[in-house]
Amino acid sequence: MDFKKIITDIFTYTPKQEYDFTLLRGTTGNESAETTELVKQNETKTIYPSLNVNLEYVKSKYNSMINSDIVIREFTLNARGKQYSAFLLYIDGMIDTDIMNKFILEPLMLRNKSNLYDSDQNRVISEAVTNNITVRKVKKFNLADYIMTCLMPQNTVKQISEFSTIFNDVNSGNCALFIDTLNIGFDIEVKGFEKRSIDKPENEIVIKGAHEAFVENIRTNTSMLRRSVHNENLIIESIQIGNITKTSCALCYIKTLANSDLVGELRYRLNNLEIDSMLSSGQLEQMIVDNNLMSVPQTLSTERPDKATSYLLDGRIVLLVNGAPYALVVPAVYTDFLSTPDDKNMRTSFSNFIKWIRILATFLSLLLPGLYVAIASFHQELLPTDLLYSILASRATVPFPVIFEILILEISFELIREAGIRVPSPIGPTIGIVGALIIGQSAVSAGIVSPILIIIVAMTGIASFAVPDYAFSFHLRIYRFLFIFLGYCCGFLGIGLGLLAYLAVLCDTKSFGVSYTSGISPLQKTVGHTYFLQPVWLREFRASYLDAKKDKKQEKISMKWKYPFLKEDDLP
Amino acid sequence: MTDTKITSKEAIMLIVTIFVSHTIVTLSKNLLSNTKSATLINLIYVGIIALLFAYIIFRLLRNFASLDIIDISQYLGGPIFKNIVGGIFIAYFIGTSSNLLREFCEGLRVAFFPMTNILFILIPFILVLFLTNSLSFSSNIKTVSLVFPFVLISIVFLFFGNFQNFSFERMFPLLGKGFSDTFITGIGNIFAFSGISCLYFIPPYLKEPQQMKKICLTSVIIGLFYFLFCTATVLLLFSFFVDVDEVLPLYSAASYIEFGVFFQRLEPLFMLIWILEIGCYMIIINRFSIHIFQKMTNLKSQKPLAMIFPLFVLGIALLPQNYSIIRFLETNIYSYFIIAVVFVLGITILFLANLKKRKERKNSL
Repeated sequence: MDFKKIITDIFTYTPKQEYDFTLLRGTTGNESAETTELVKQNETKTIYPSLNVNLEYVKSKYNSMINSDIVIREFTLNARGKQYSAFLLYIDGMIDTDIMNKFILEPLMLRNKSNLYDSDQNRVISEAVTNNITVRKVKKFNLADYIMTCLMPQNTVKQISEFSTIFNDVNSGNCALFIDTLNIGFDIEVKGFEKRSIDKPENEIVIKGAHEAFVENIRTNTSMLRRSVHNENLIIESIQIGNITKTSCALCYIKTLANSDLVGELRYRLNNLEIDSMLSSGQLEQMIVDNNLMSVPQTLSTERPDKATSYLLDGRIVLLVNGAPYALVVPAVYTDFLSTPDDKNMRTSFSNFIKWIRILATFLSLLLPGLYVAIASFHQELLPTDLLYSILASRATVPFPVIFEILILEISFELIREAGIRVPSPIGPTIGIVGALIIGQSAVSAGIVSPILIIIVAMTGIASFAVPDYAFSFHLRIYRFLFIFLGYCCGFLGIGLGLLAYLAVLCDTKSFGVSYTSGISPLQKTVGHTYFLQPVWLREFRASYLDAKKDKKQEKISMKWKYPFLKEDDLP
Repeated sequence: MTDTKITSKEAIMLIVTIFVSHTIVTLSKNLLSNTKSATLINLIYVGIIALLFAYIIFRLLRNFASLDIIDISQYLGGPIFKNIVGGIFIAYFIGTSSNLLREFCEGLRVAFFPMTNILFILIPFILVLFLTNSLSFSSNIKTVSLVFPFVLISIVFLFFGNFQNFSFERMFPLLGKGFSDTFITGIGNIFAFSGISCLYFIPPYLKEPQQMKKICLTSVIIGLFYFLFCTATVLLLFSFFVDVDEVLPLYSAASYIEFGVFFQRLEPLFMLIWILEIGCYMIIINRFSIHIFQKMTNLKSQKPLAMIFPLFVLGIALLPQNYSIIRFLETNIYSYFIIAVVFVLGITILFLANLKKRKERKNSL
């Protein structure tokens, strides 16, 4: 070990290397915030006028000899009585064959009356005779324009001159048309692959909310947001991520609400990802968040369009990834992970009651086993005498120390949980029953663990299920083990100092420039967003920490029917 | 971009946290030893004086916008004077905090870890300081403001939970050892308001410097109420004429609380909250010490100091050989040191700096 190096590393000043972004209040309206555009210097090859050269290039690029689903359909195109060699490039299974046959191949290949006259004949636009001299204004025949305007009855067709753009669209389900003598290609939209239809949410069940969830197709997802927001100020920017996969991602925000700096920051982060592939929203989340010591989730993941819409209307940003049925919401603060869409649908008193229960669940999930270990090891006086006797009696036959006992049970519980998720769904409940009932009962009978500990671990497990966000619940599960260890080592001293360190790191964490503990601490004027809900008529403001362009979301008198004669000015 | 400024509410909590942490350990015992049954009256009396001091500090700081006492010292006497003042304040912060930490850990040892070496009880606090010193100042303050309400509740709960056990006759005689001991020599109890020292350092951190007056006065008033609650609890519960012979009197007071048969011994729960509170106190004091040292040495970053200062605290906390030396240091040295540094040195510097400024202004006219 190089002690000199260790000492030098500890005490030497090293300038901060990591990028630090803070969303400062009062920056709204600074429209001059620069949008960083990253221009990728990819190799760009333009399309050749010779069809054979193009064909060879396409074949080599797509490895058509070994790629079974790449289709190159060669044919002869009829245009104004003249014939041209052409070929279509598309991927089998990603296009709608009906559209391909009826609206591309048929008009291009078959002869029809209007397409028969001489191709060299120029079109006369106007004619004038002056001093026996006839002056004709003619438009020279242009094959590309002619095909575009007369032969292709298809709604989305583009003329492209670069291979890279065409390949990109073909990979997304379009087809490309190459024609001899033309140094451009036609990019025709014929997408028609199989996709899952909109279904019920599976992981975010609500009682009173909508029952539709995001699907894998990004366009379907954006359309769901579009339908819910129903406003032209909803911006859906498309960004491609991944050098190989070029996955389409959508940056969605409401132009008149979302903070420009926040949008700019997210756009900057998304545009500066140098990776080969992006296959899920989970990957994207990890790529765009700031590092944090505790791996607390810094973005909110939801499969519900109504929840995403609600956050959009608060001035937040929603990210969609093609192929992922989950949307990411940023920024997200601590209290967001303890909220569900149902909170706003229920009466305030009901919601707040449930919110209290969730706080309790968070507390139990994180600290209950640790507290039990601490009390059992150091602070037995806290327990009433009768309860203490009963615990001692139940532990009398257990040969292990309390830490070992609790670790056996906690790890078993995690095993059962993991097995329940991974096994095929018909066997899942069986695993739970076998694990929880049979193994638990047998362990108690065998004297490996005490019954009181079964109760503690079961309560902790149930509490962790009551935490609405899976990622946050996972975080609590991991840190529970730390508190068990601290409780065993130093009792309440360990738990107290561990909690202090936990809170300190939590307070230091930021989600896209917003303090993670906004709404709880700092005790700033966090108008519009506290954990507990106010009655619906009092929810006038958007969360101040988001610094949205529009603070108010409803008038002071939102229920005008109730006070028809009262004006805003009359209010105190 | 970094957000290091704090709100006025957070500043108030920061100052009150300093008050409270001393109360949790032995402050109430020290106050009672000095003024006996007149402590409550004496506290109100010194509280009013502390309020006056806080107001004077506010008035004197007002002319220096967002400068702290170290900057003001430089303005007054140049860099050497700045370093001397900085050194005194660091000695004050480190000395008092080390002593408090050691005293609290001794209490923890008596209560929970009788067989454990004091070093192993101190080390967890130092480890937390390593971590928190490497985080931002604003995050430290947010942590304090998260913990603070629980401490407030614990003290109020302690008072009302023990209400049935109080013997109100212990308040008599009202003037304790006499008028002179209560109002003349009793003025020494002002050391309880040592948290006022933070007022000298918070101006650069304030989001709204115009709220300084509110911060000065409110923090002292809240602190005074805290003292009254804590001291009243100990005074009305224990017989002080035989002296409160407890290491942590409030902890002992907590053991008297009973709610039915089930909740009979709640003191570990109180201790859990107070551990958080002492941790918060150590975080604040460490940050201020590092801040002063950084200003003295013009260091670019606080990172190299993040570990040195906690180690320094650990070293000084380990110096006293036993509990009686700690008590001696606290009652005979630190209490006077606090008065000298916070109420004499600080105000004198501010006063002289104001005179200098006024003179400069006159000359420029």
